Formats: sequence, structure tokens, C-alpha cells
Amino acid sequence: MTVLHDAPSAGRLQPWPADEQRRRPRQWSPWRLINYLIALAVVALYVLPLLFLLNTALKRPGEFSADPVGLTESLALGNFVDAWTQGNFGALVANSVLYALVCAAVSTVLSVLIAFPVARNYVRWSRSLRVLFVISLFLPNAIVAQFQLVLQLGLYDTRLGYMLLMTAGLGVGPLLVMGYLRSLPRELDEAAAMDGCGYFRFVWTFVFPLCKPVLGAVFILQVIGVWNDIIGATIYLASPELRTISLGLFTFYGEYGNNQWELLAAATLIVAAPLILLYVFTQRLFISGAIAGSLK
Amino acid sequence: MNPFASSRAGRAGPWLGIAPGLALFLTFALVPAIAVVGMSFTDISGMPNVPWHWVGLDNYRRFFSAGAVAANLDVINRTLVFALSVTVILNALALLLAVLLSGRLRGAALYRSIVFMPVVLGVTIVGLIWSLVFNPTGGPAASLWSSFGSSSSFLGDPKLAFTLIIFVQIWAAIGTTMMIYHAGLMAVPADLYEAARVDGANAWHRLRHVTIPMVAPAITANMVISIVGSLQTYQIIYVLTGDRPTTSVLALKVFSIGFGTSEQGYAAAVSMIQFVLVAVIALVLLTYLRRRETQL
Repeated sequence: MTVLHDAPSAGRLQPWPADEQRRRPRQWSPWRLINYLIALAVVALYVLPLLFLLNTALKRPGEFSADPVGLTESLALGNFVDAWTQGNFGALVANSVLYALVCAAVSTVLSVLIAFPVARNYVRWSRSLRVLFVISLFLPNAIVAQFQLVLQLGLYDTRLGYMLLMTAGLGVGPLLVMGYLRSLPRELDEAAAMDGCGYFRFVWTFVFPLCKPVLGAVFILQVIGVWNDIIGATIYLASPELRTISLGLFTFYGEYGNNQWELLAAATLIVAAPLILLYVFTQRLFISGAIAGSLK
Repeated sequence: MNPFASSRAGRAGPWLGIAPGLALFLTFALVPAIAVVGMSFTDISGMPNVPWHWVGLDNYRRFFSAGAVAANLDVINRTLVFALSVTVILNALALLLAVLLSGRLRGAALYRSIVFMPVVLGVTIVGLIWSLVFNPTGGPAASLWSSFGSSSSFLGDPKLAFTLIIFVQIWAAIGTTMMIYHAGLMAVPADLYEAARVDGANAWHRLRHVTIPMVAPAITANMVISIVGSLQTYQIIYVLTGDRPTTSVLALKVFSIGFGTSEQGYAAAVSMIQFVLVAVIALVLLTYLRRRETQL
């Protein structure tokens, strides 16, 4: 697992460097021990529930109700197969992958197309546009009005309607890109224009590659937003063949949550696995995206 | 000035690029947010092709009517308790964790990544993990309870359920808050701690008189984000218990009125009540914290 700050850079910036300077690196003071114990307890609070989920997923049907907390006696990998087929997860995963990739790709591209001219003041009302996107983060809860609109447009229970809403609803993208663009020199635009480079060619061949770090964060933020959406999917996707994996998992919980935790745990892990893998490999993007996203 | 403006295509380019994203945002985010105000004065339903009428303030009167006011004030009260306790506990623990896992500890970055994981996993998976742990027929929590000679139905217990929801919300959200504090801590100049140490400050003094004043802007940002977020969040409650009289909050009411009984005019009025509550609390808190920042 790659970690967020590798040791040397973290060491340089740590809050109490005086400790290092007193040169007693391996000494175990009681405070240091308490520090480690608290850290251990915190990590346990996060890792143990996941391990318990895995333990449950590996139990044979019926084994959980007989002995819920005991270590599994079997490696009932069949649970994963059963959950996959009974929950029809193949189709659900395909839907979620489609929605997540399309929404994330479209909104990433749209974010740049909005953010670049606004950040550079290349259009009139740039300032008002910026304010508009900030205000959008503090609007009232409009789910009922959105529903009426989608109904009127004939987009209820369609893939297109759901994807349009999810793309429009995740409004931090343009703001993140605007913030990043401030660090890129304006002279580049002028030089390119002087050389006769067209506007869209410039955006495509220069702005996109230069914004790669922040675009990665925007893309990932949208992907988890769509993959984990439960309310939008519940409201707009009535037909079973259009549903997402998160909604499918929640429905599965309604059906098996009372007595078949082995199956349900396996199903939960199936849905969580792609997220965990993605997280392990793109952690920096995830964290910078989520921090920026919440800072709105 | 737009350096591409020498050609006609270069003049039109920026607006052509902005148009699709802006249209999507105006149609599906801004227009519904404004329309929800108008909807709150109607008796519109979620069913297609049912005629609707203007009803003036009836929806608001209904919310505060003699038959409903006790239950509704209960919901408002619970919304405030939820937001307040989540905000205070979340921020206190997140700041402590950020200080604790600040890089002085071996493997601190890995611990931080683990604590951040629920942010990635999303509300459905987090909800199912804790439903499993709090499974009354014999989850780990039940075993722990019984070792103290007591038993509980956890999320099924009307007295306990809401407390558990608050716990799960804090567990799931602390990663982002901690990362923002961590970023703030990393920006504190190391010499300040050294100077404090030279002046004989102990660990508590350093926390109180160096760390906290220096991360005050991060505290303001985090407090506002947490309070606004927790006044609006309901997905975790929806997954863990659904809309119950003992666990419901305003935002969940909007969803369950709008899409359960389909009384979307009434749901829009509840949306507006929620919006006013969020706006007032956010503004008061922001003003207060900005003033405190300068005093610290």
C-alpha cells in the first residue's frame, strides 16, 4: 500500500521536530507508548469490522447463526458465487460501471471547459459565473423539484435521465479546476494564440494535460459519488434492469438481512472490493479529491 | 483579455465550451432549487397526470398544525441534536487524531489511510457493515453486551438506535475532517514548537497555545462543513433504520414524504424549513468562529 506521505517528507514537516533534535530516537517514554496504544485501538476500530465482514462471508450457510463471532471453520467461497447470481450482480455492476465512467468522464471534460475561460476571465460575467458555482453548493434540498422536472421531460426511469442528474449534481468540479488553473502561467495561452493555435486545440492539447493532477481528483470524486449513490438510484431507477450495484446491495439487504448474513456479507464485499482496490492504487487522488470536495 | 479573440472561432470558443456544462447545471440544479420554493405553495403530488393547485401557506400551516407540531418539533430537535453532537465530537476527535497520527508515529500515514477508508466505501457498505456488527441475534456488539450481562436490540432499540447512528456517522466521516486538520498541522512552522519548548511549554501548552491557534482557520472550515453537512445528511439513517419516529431527521422527512406518500408540495415546504435552519445556523456559526479566530 502506498502511503500518503512518505517518511522523509513527513519527517521534515512534523509538528514536534524538537524530539528528533534531542537525539533519543529509540527511547520508549510512557507517552510514546500511550500514543501507540491509542493508534492501535483506532486502527482496530476500523479494521476489525471489515475483518468480521470477511469472516462472516467465508462461513457456511447457517454457520453464522450458530456461532456469529467465532472464527470461520470453512472457506465457503461459494457464498460469493451465490450472492453474485442471486443478486444478479453482473448486470448491476455493468450498469454502475457505465454510469460512473460516463458521468465522471463527461463532468470532468465539462469542468475544464467551464473552468478555463472563467478562471482566465476570457468571457464576460466570469466573476458572476464563479459566484454562481459557489452558491450552488448551498442551495436548498431540491429532490422533489428535480423529480418533477425529470418526470416532465420524460426522463424518469431512463439511463439518460439518471446520468444527466448525476452529472449536473456534483458541482465542485469546475471550482477545483479553477483553483488549480491559477497556478498555470497565462503567458502560455498568449504564446499559443500568437502561433495560430485555435481555442479548442489549445484546451485539448495543453490545458487538459497540464491539469492532469486535479482532473484525476475530479474524476475519482465523481466515480465514487455515482458508485455509492443510493438516493438518486432509488428515486429514478424503477426498472430492475437499470439499477445500480449500490441499490442492488441495499435491496439484497432487505431480502437476506434477517437470516442469511453469510450471503449478505459476501455481497457487501463484492461491492466494496473494487472501491478498496481503486483506493489502494489511487489514494493520493482520493484524499486530495475528498478534501477539496468537502472544502467546496 | 482572450488572446484567441483575433479569429471568430477564437471569440466564440469560450462560450461554446461553457454552454453544455452551464445548461446542464442550470436545468438540473439551479432551476429545481428555485422551483422548490414555488412548489412549497402547491399540493403537487409525485404521481404523473394528477392536477395540482396553489394552496398558499397550507403546507407550512400543516407542518405546525396542532396534530403534527409535537412530532415535527421532535424531528427538528433531533436534527439539531444530530448535527450538534456529530459536529462537536467529530471535530474534537479528528483534531486529536490528526495530532496523534501526525508523522511522529511510525506508520502514521498508513493509519491515516485506514481511518479514511469509510469515506471511499460509501454509505450503503458502511451501513451494512455496522448492521452486521450490531446484529441483535449475535453480532460482536451483542457478545460484548452479554459479557456485561446485558442485552439490546441495538438499531431496533428506540432509545439506543439514534446514538448508534451518531456513532456510525462520526466513524464514517472522521477521515475527511482528520485529513483537513492534518493538512493544517503540516503547515505550522516547526520553529514555533521549538520556541515554545525553549520557553518551557509542556505538551498541553503546546497544543493549546501553538497548535490550536495555528489551525484555527482549519477549525472554522471543518466546523462549518460538518454542521452544514450533518444538517443535510440522511442517507446513513435511511440505510441503518429507515424513517422511524425515533430516528428521523428533517432531510429524511423530505425524502420519505416526497417519495413515500408522494405529497411533494408538502415535502417542498419541509425542504424550505430545513434550508432556513441550515442557513441561519451556518451564518451564526461562521460569524462566531471568524471572531474567535482573531482572539485565539
